[in-house]
Amino acid sequence: MTSFNDTRHLWALGAFLAAVGLVGMVVRRELVPDDFGRQGPYRASALADVAARPSLFQADATCHACHEEVQHERAGKPHEAVRCAHCHGHGVEHVATARRAAEDPSVSLPPAAPWDGDFLTKLDLYVTKDRATCLACHTAVVGMPADFKKIDVAVHLEEQGASEPLAKDTCFECHGGHDTAP
Amino acid sequence: MEFHALHDTPFIFPNDAHPVWSIMIVLYPYITGMVAGAFVVSTMYHVFQREALRPVARLAVVTSLCLGACATLPLLLHLHQPQRALNVVATPSPSSAMAGFGFIYSFYMLVLVVDVWLLFRPAIVERARSAPGAWKSVYRALALGVLEITPRAAEIDRKLIHALSVIGIPAACILHGYVGFLFGAIKANPWWSSSLMPVIFLTSAVVSGIAVLTLLYLFLCRRSRMEPDEECMRSLSRLLWMFLVLAVTFECGDLLHVAYEREEEWHVIRELLVTKLRFSYLTLQMFIGALLPLLILPIPAFTRFASAGFRRACTGVAAVLVLVQVAAMRWNVVVGGQLFSKSFRGFVDYPVTWFGREGLLAAAVVLALPMLLLWGAMKLLPVWPPSSESESGVKT
Amino acid sequence: MSLFELPIVTSGPAARCASGGCATGGCTSGGCSSGSAERASETSRREFLKTATTMTLGAMSLTLLPGAMAGDEVPAAALHPGGPAANKPMYGFLIDTTKCTGAGKCLTACRVENGVPEGQARTWVERYVHFKDGRVEVDLVPEIGYAASGEPQPAAEDVLRAYFVPKLCNQCVDAPCNQVCPVHASIKSPEGIELVDTDRCIGCGYCVQACPYGIRYMNHETNVADKCNWCYHRVMRNEQPACVEACPTGARVFGRVDDPESEISKRLATLPTSVLKQHLGTLPLTRYVGLTDEVT
Repeated sequence: MTSFNDTRHLWALGAFLAAVGLVGMVVRRELVPDDFGRQGPYRASALADVAARPSLFQADATCHACHEEVQHERAGKPHEAVRCAHCHGHGVEHVATARRAAEDPSVSLPPAAPWDGDFLTKLDLYVTKDRATCLACHTAVVGMPADFKKIDVAVHLEEQGASEPLAKDTCFECHGGHDTAP
Repeated sequence: MEFHALHDTPFIFPNDAHPVWSIMIVLYPYITGMVAGAFVVSTMYHVFQREALRPVARLAVVTSLCLGACATLPLLLHLHQPQRALNVVATPSPSSAMAGFGFIYSFYMLVLVVDVWLLFRPAIVERARSAPGAWKSVYRALALGVLEITPRAAEIDRKLIHALSVIGIPAACILHGYVGFLFGAIKANPWWSSSLMPVIFLTSAVVSGIAVLTLLYLFLCRRSRMEPDEECMRSLSRLLWMFLVLAVTFECGDLLHVAYEREEEWHVIRELLVTKLRFSYLTLQMFIGALLPLLILPIPAFTRFASAGFRRACTGVAAVLVLVQVAAMRWNVVVGGQLFSKSFRGFVDYPVTWFGREGLLAAAVVLALPMLLLWGAMKLLPVWPPSSESESGVKT
Repeated sequence: MSLFELPIVTSGPAARCASGGCATGGCTSGGCSSGSAERASETSRREFLKTATTMTLGAMSLTLLPGAMAGDEVPAAALHPGGPAANKPMYGFLIDTTKCTGAGKCLTACRVENGVPEGQARTWVERYVHFKDGRVEVDLVPEIGYAASGEPQPAAEDVLRAYFVPKLCNQCVDAPCNQVCPVHASIKSPEGIELVDTDRCIGCGYCVQACPYGIRYMNHETNVADKCNWCYHRVMRNEQPACVEACPTGARVFGRVDDPESEISKRLATLPTSVLKQHLGTLPLTRYVGLTDEVT
């Protein structure tokens, strides 16, 4: 009793919705990356993308590869655990240039710049003989472990009879940087 | 006894300083709630045979459709990579509550679109025959080229509309219960984490849907100098009152449970309520938005007090207050949940801005757009119930 | 002075150790027999974590990372004498709050290494100060250190005890951030490290909300989710994470927990450790020495 005329609009609707659905499925296919789900529920190459980021913080071992004498100087001394980067910056460009220089003698290594007093984001190399870098770690602050070498600077400098307590290099009158023994 | 966190100096985690979810995430459940709520009103007529609601039954589905068409807009405005939005359906994560949105929303909109199409097909076909010039082809396209309605076809459509309305009820519940689940399932946040969240969102969604429909009905009647149907207004008032009672019960129940049990982070929540959310929660959501309408609504819902005009005014005022209540509730959940750090040792501010993608102006546009769509839809389709069976052929 | 005499983990040796001779040297060196009880419990904890990871990761647990790791892969038999060929490395992170001096060296190292924008952080160091009057105050170690920051300091005589707590990603085995990501832009790598696929992330911020530790943030320069990933790129090159490399006191230890000879395994075997917000059931891989219940 139901003729095609009675359901024609529903077929039209069905065809319309099917077309919309089909377009949706094609679009969806396009949006899924090729390597999605290859090794887990994610874009497989994302792992390599993250891993491709360059290592910027230089490990001491990188520095010691060339500066062997510093390694010996620091061996077994209190500052062996202090990282090169803490006093000399990240040295990213320095290491990159040094690697090029090792292969190509025409490449020369520029000397390290003096420290400009900024503790943050030093990608290149600098030399520092500045009390600020020492006190960054050694100023006594509430919360430090009891066995950590804390310094009340004023008292310490007075005890040691520093000539110019506020001079940048006052610490280095007695202490070395690499071998800190007075 | 004092809790240590209250008299310590505040400490917030560095990444907690700026709330990630903005006013757009407040609007998203607000609009989706109205979508679900307005649809529920139409089912009251189509499924549960509340004849009194006949004047607003069609308006309800069209309103729901217009709001639904804009429901993704605040999400797109919020996404930091909106051009990748379709990733949600391309590579959805089955473990993510949010990934369900694409599918639940699509299904609900499918039901709604087909429902509206079948409901208005007689009118569309009629206009495809009689409309002048270019409009003829617009209606032809809307009718998908089928310009014939046999009595048998009308009978089939009537059954289909009934079936779609039945399917639409759980679909609307899932659509909005799911929004509540998005928040309720975040164990990192004690202000959100609650199994009652879906129910709270659902009941307040129905409340906001009824309220927005009531106001639209009053507004449209006034504009076309029509007398609003008294029984319809009474029925809307009753529904509004009933669902408001449910919504407030769940909202209070949830909070009281946390408060009475002294759940682990109650001291943070208490502090939040009496400081940051004092106005928006206690004043707006609970007093102005809930208590007042609960006191006002029984007049038009259950009495014949004073004149019909006075009772209409009561319903109208209550509906406005209720819309404020639901907006405040969304705000208190979404923004309130980000006003304390996960260190539970400090609070942060949510800076409301006027301009920008997630500013107040953009929010106003997002809220106005469904109304603009509705205006267009009303030009295109007759939202008032047909006066005679001849025009419709189906029970509408 | 004793602090500096501790063996410090430096870049290559600890990680590379496993691929060299020391892994096979194993128990004969004597450490095993003396601490057999701790060793046993440590083993069972590792077994549990392994099982949990396997269950969570399902099929991908047996796959290996392509490229960087392949050449340095440890022979399975060396690490799991009796067990199945679970030849993917298992990493762990140990924070020893009793060693942190609050110098902030790790903070700059991380920011530079990972390009973290100002005002956001992959790692930070909290200081908990318990005053004699019962107050507990918490603040953040400034990136340039307290000395250079010039911030007013509490007087030592008012303080009962104080300690630093470095924070970083806990690399939860059951990570809420991974669970909620709608588009699979949160990746649990085969090594158990949680990564962000910055090409797929839609920037919804759900993961930021879901992380109970406040580790995730919406990077305001790239506009995608960002987080500590234990310097995955460095780890894949057998280097230590930047913060570990930068720490002069050994408060941060990273290494393979499936290698009994690694620094981290040895410390885990001898020190009682705990995790943050354990009640949330996220099963963090980052473990702490010296946590108090004030730490959130």
